[in-house]
Amino acid sequence: MKGIKTKIGDQFIQIIYEPTVLFNSFLRNFQPNVGSENDQADLIIKIKEGYGVPFVDYKVDIIEDHNQILYRRADYLIEVNSTFKYATISVHDELALKHAMMNLYSSFIVHHNWGLLIHSSCVIEKGKVHIFAGQSGAGKSTAAKLSYPRTLLSDEATLVKITQNQITVFNSPFRSEIETDDFKGSLDAASVQILYQALQNNRVKLTRSDALLQLMDKVFFWPRSPEEIKTIMRLLTMLVKNVPVFELYFQKNNTFWELIS
Amino acid sequence: MTQYIQKAKFEKTELDGEWIILNTEDFTVTKLNEVGGLCWALLNEIQTVETLTQSLLEKFSSQNNMEQVKRDIEEFLSQLVHCGLIQHVD
Repeated sequence: MKGIKTKIGDQFIQIIYEPTVLFNSFLRNFQPNVGSENDQADLIIKIKEGYGVPFVDYKVDIIEDHNQILYRRADYLIEVNSTFKYATISVHDELALKHAMMNLYSSFIVHHNWGLLIHSSCVIEKGKVHIFAGQSGAGKSTAAKLSYPRTLLSDEATLVKITQNQITVFNSPFRSEIETDDFKGSLDAASVQILYQALQNNRVKLTRSDALLQLMDKVFFWPRSPEEIKTIMRLLTMLVKNVPVFELYFQKNNTFWELIS
Repeated sequence: MTQYIQKAKFEKTELDGEWIILNTEDFTVTKLNEVGGLCWALLNEIQTVETLTQSLLEKFSSQNNMEQVKRDIEEFLSQLVHCGLIQHVD
């Protein structure tokens, strides 16, 4: 078995795995050997191959007993203790591993009331970040590609840390097409765009309540209790109180940036 | 006279005078304007169309359009029932 200590958001994560082709390929987006010997891992994840069948659908069964939570999909199984300190992920293939890691990490940060994983790409412009959210096919990775040569912090799932007075974004290892670069640390969020592809560029600011409604189905999460849903709502409320949210109607070229910066 | 009250299991958030009501059982969200939010808050206790109408008329110091207010309240309550936010009290 091999282990890497990496950082996702500002948490230290230790990943223990057999160095197979599948795992080596998946872990290329995770920065290895981060931190010193003394940095305790916040979450220790053991990953294993040989589970289940190829992707069937997104349905996740959640089974909870007093000290363990199971998230089970046809192609992955996550077993995590109730304090979200130790987890084992068993997967069928790389897609299953990616989705299982996102499932686990999202549940981990909601459990700690730290922040949210948002279905979006994220681009650095003048030292601040702009988030482009939308469902599959809305244009998240298109907007990300059209933003070149600006640095991307995500192309599919954005890591957003949420506190009462500050919203910051970290580099996301959960990538769809565009691999991570070595940006470390975090930056303040300046805006969130809800994307719509259109023939004309237009950017319309949403009221905070509409922003909250629009963002609720853009969060990656697998709710296991009403308490967890309340936590997500509180985090989203803090997000929309601190960062303006817009509908962005954009042409498939880079001119939409004229409306942002 | 039909009586109404909030169903349990809600999380509510106020943003710039508007209310977002989250049903944590079936994960639906409903947005209410300021007056809707006021009625919603009153439905914490048992209400009827008449008691809500009276409260609104007092709140806005108006006795005009009582019939219109009543009709609006009736429609609003039936929408809240439809959204699963309130229930009839037997």
